[in-house]
Amino acid sequence: MPPLLPLLLPLCLRLLHAEPLAYPAVISPQDPTLLIGSSLTATCTVSADFHLRAEDLYWTLNGRRLPAASYAALGPTTLSVALARLNGSKQQSGDNLVCHSRDGGILAGSCLYVGLPPEKPVNISCWSKNMKDLTCKWAPGTEGETFLHTNYTLKYKLRWYGRDNTCQEYHTAGPYSCHIPKDLALFTPYEIWVEASNRLGVAVSDVVMLDILDVVTTDPPADVHVSRVGDLEDQLSVRWSSPPALKDFLFQAKYQIQYRVEDSSEWKVVDDVGNQTSCRLAGLRPGTVYFVQVRCNPFGIYGSKKAGIWSDWSNPTAASTPRSERAAGGCDPKGGEQNTTLRRELKQFFGWVKKHAYGCSNLSIKLYDQWRVWLQKSHKTRNQVLPGDKL
Amino acid sequence: MDFRAGDSWGIFAFLCAALCNLPAVPALNGTEELGAGQSIQKTYDLTRYLEHQLRTLAGTYLNYLGPPFNEPDFNPPRLARAEQVPSATVDLDLWRGLTDNARLAANYRAYSRLLCYLRGLDGQAGTAELRHRLGHFCSSLQGLVVSIAGVMSSLGYPLPAGPAGPPLPPGAPAAPNDFLKKMDDFWLLKELQTWLWRSAKDFNRLKKKVPPAVVTLRLEARGF
Repeated sequence: MPPLLPLLLPLCLRLLHAEPLAYPAVISPQDPTLLIGSSLTATCTVSADFHLRAEDLYWTLNGRRLPAASYAALGPTTLSVALARLNGSKQQSGDNLVCHSRDGGILAGSCLYVGLPPEKPVNISCWSKNMKDLTCKWAPGTEGETFLHTNYTLKYKLRWYGRDNTCQEYHTAGPYSCHIPKDLALFTPYEIWVEASNRLGVAVSDVVMLDILDVVTTDPPADVHVSRVGDLEDQLSVRWSSPPALKDFLFQAKYQIQYRVEDSSEWKVVDDVGNQTSCRLAGLRPGTVYFVQVRCNPFGIYGSKKAGIWSDWSNPTAASTPRSERAAGGCDPKGGEQNTTLRRELKQFFGWVKKHAYGCSNLSIKLYDQWRVWLQKSHKTRNQVLPGDKL
Repeated sequence: MDFRAGDSWGIFAFLCAALCNLPAVPALNGTEELGAGQSIQKTYDLTRYLEHQLRTLAGTYLNYLGPPFNEPDFNPPRLARAEQVPSATVDLDLWRGLTDNARLAANYRAYSRLLCYLRGLDGQAGTAELRHRLGHFCSSLQGLVVSIAGVMSSLGYPLPAGPAGPPLPPGAPAAPNDFLKKMDDFWLLKELQTWLWRSAKDFNRLKKKVPPAVVTLRLEARGF
């Protein structure tokens, strides 16, 4: 038998026969909950076995010794302390009020929870991905949260049926959010609200009423292609497919395109794209690489009159406008510089092609554009998807 | 040193943990992929990783408990209930005098129970960041328990019988008040720190005992 076993066995046995063992002292009240600004008198009573008297004791709050002037001996083994106009708890786990013996040893402690009741959560907003689920987020009302731990519960029910349901999956889209994954009805309004509760009380938000069909969002458009329009120097053609998840449902999608020049962070938005799945960008600069993104709003699902919620932007696609050779003439003073830069870039490009493209049959201007995108990514510059508005 | 999951060290050690999350197999012969030496090395690495991870976790958790728990010289009494946590402060000569089997078994049992206590730390407590760190640490610690089992198997030792299972014997009370619970949490973290520190030494010593022929790192076989 391993020699350690005899050491462990008595420990296990002792646990099974554990009796409530005497603690050195008892504090009253133990772990109280209080409103900010209230006062408290706490007492520490030392157990008889410990041979300590009231004058051997002192108090600390969050590690700081409390002034003896606030103490009072209520008996031979009981010392009280008066705390006035308490501030909100320093940490959500409670302020540590501790009764010490003269040598600093801890005899007992009590956690004080000082705060305010919660405020009504506000700004509830929800969205449904492809009518399959519902995610809601909200904002806390201010004060109560900071001092006491606040629990949030999102509840929902069909407007004309009685039963309340509780959302289970929290923090899916930030700290104040919840996700309802299934069993959602369409064409019928839901009532949704959030309850905030802490040790001092409960606060219920206003009820939000919505139909899932009115808050539908979807995936970004798929297969976004950007290509030149023949030799036209100032135009690019953008094509995409409507998001596949909603293809079986009757809806008119609205689309938006945003594009920017390669070395700028300013996006231009094309708003009036309507229901088509292609668009031509005009008025562009010749010989320039552009990044293009498309997003979709599933407007009018099942005949709903309301706008849906914009999807995320598709991943950026790059393309460049042609530059006619004649343009290299006299107009642009930076022309000469650009040619040297361009040539250097082309040299680098051919080196890259040798390494990465298998066979020169694939050599095309598309390949050059792909390389420009790769260059951008590898320098980690500016190829950012800017957070778009959801609504 | 602050370890983050993205650290290459962290990733490596975590890969070890993931790998070590294999079901314990009976004693292996020399032709098996996971030789004893490799197993011990991985366990050692995981112990060190956990040590570093615990420093950040403990710091954050003790700040959550508030002063005086996060003061550097804080040393509260070890009241009755806190003694349920397996204590790392055994007599060092006694510890060294144990057989490898006994020492490994003690490590295995201790970490199994420490893991259960850790999982019992209040799930609602603190910020999302703290809960996330705790969850991450528990996963890593689980990996260590399995890893130690792996070492025992590869050395031909039987796994310790009986419950690594039920966290507390039935009827054991939870801490009677919030302050005592804070003290229990403090001691849990402290014991965990000492166990990890000592285990690292144990595995380092064990590594040197295992025949060198077994200590070949077959990294390519694992696709690293």
